[in-house]
Amino acid sequence: MSPAKPRLLLVDDAVTSRLALYGMLVGRFDVHTATDGASGIAKAREVQPHIILLDVVMPVMGGLEACRILRDDPATAACPIILVTSLNDEWDIEAGYVNGCTDYIIKPVDREELLAKVDSWLAAALGDAAS
Amino acid sequence: MTAIVSAATSRVYLHPGQMAVAGMDHTMTTILGSCVAVCLHDQVQRIGGINHFLLPQAPEGGESTRYGDVAMERLINAMERRGSSVRHLQARVIGGACVLQAYQGRSADLGRANGRAALDALASAGIPVVLEDLGGHRGRRVLFHPGSGDVVVRHL
Repeated sequence: MSPAKPRLLLVDDAVTSRLALYGMLVGRFDVHTATDGASGIAKAREVQPHIILLDVVMPVMGGLEACRILRDDPATAACPIILVTSLNDEWDIEAGYVNGCTDYIIKPVDREELLAKVDSWLAAALGDAAS
Repeated sequence: MTAIVSAATSRVYLHPGQMAVAGMDHTMTTILGSCVAVCLHDQVQRIGGINHFLLPQAPEGGESTRYGDVAMERLINAMERRGSSVRHLQARVIGGACVLQAYQGRSADLGRANGRAALDALASAGIPVVLEDLGGHRGRRVLFHPGSGDVVVRHL
């Protein structure tokens, strides 16, 4: 039996964006999805993902607020959160880090960059404590 | 991709994978998490350049300045094209945070790998590092004055 794939939670309200990202990820990860910040938080508590990709501008609850809540919740505090958003203004990027994101990727997403960052953070999340 | 930002305007913001070279009366700013920015300053020409890369090593045949090895080579080349000699350059290396404290020190720490890529490239080129602000668990806003070489780092 092959080992279980890492669990990845993808939170994005835009269908086209969600499908595009899903297509980049689904072969390598056990991808779970949500369509706004509030349902993303609920899904994160349910599936305990190894990594979260979070859009910023979404209905019900935006990504920055969701990021802050996930970071303050002991159950998800150590989970890498990559904001994946079309907001490319420097103040938006700064707000991402201030609200606790681990990394920031600007749409349109480059597959190579996305996978390299996800792989890197997963390697850390899945733990190989260095000397 | 080589993304050289025009320094025609006095204030330049660099996104990941971009770089810029300019002289006096310019400022360059960027925001870093696990990414690294290297600021090169030529004390003789009074010009400077900055890059911002995301990942340490390009894959085989990779040409993107999103990778540290490519970004460092391109930045040094751009400074030389503006008349700089490598022996007049000084480097300031900033970024490489691991913003999840729990992951600091792990061998897969991307920020640490990015910092190492910058320092290795500078050592290979024989460029001294006069400021090294690497690691930690907070993002950084960097303001670079290329004409003077001054760098202001604000931890987020």
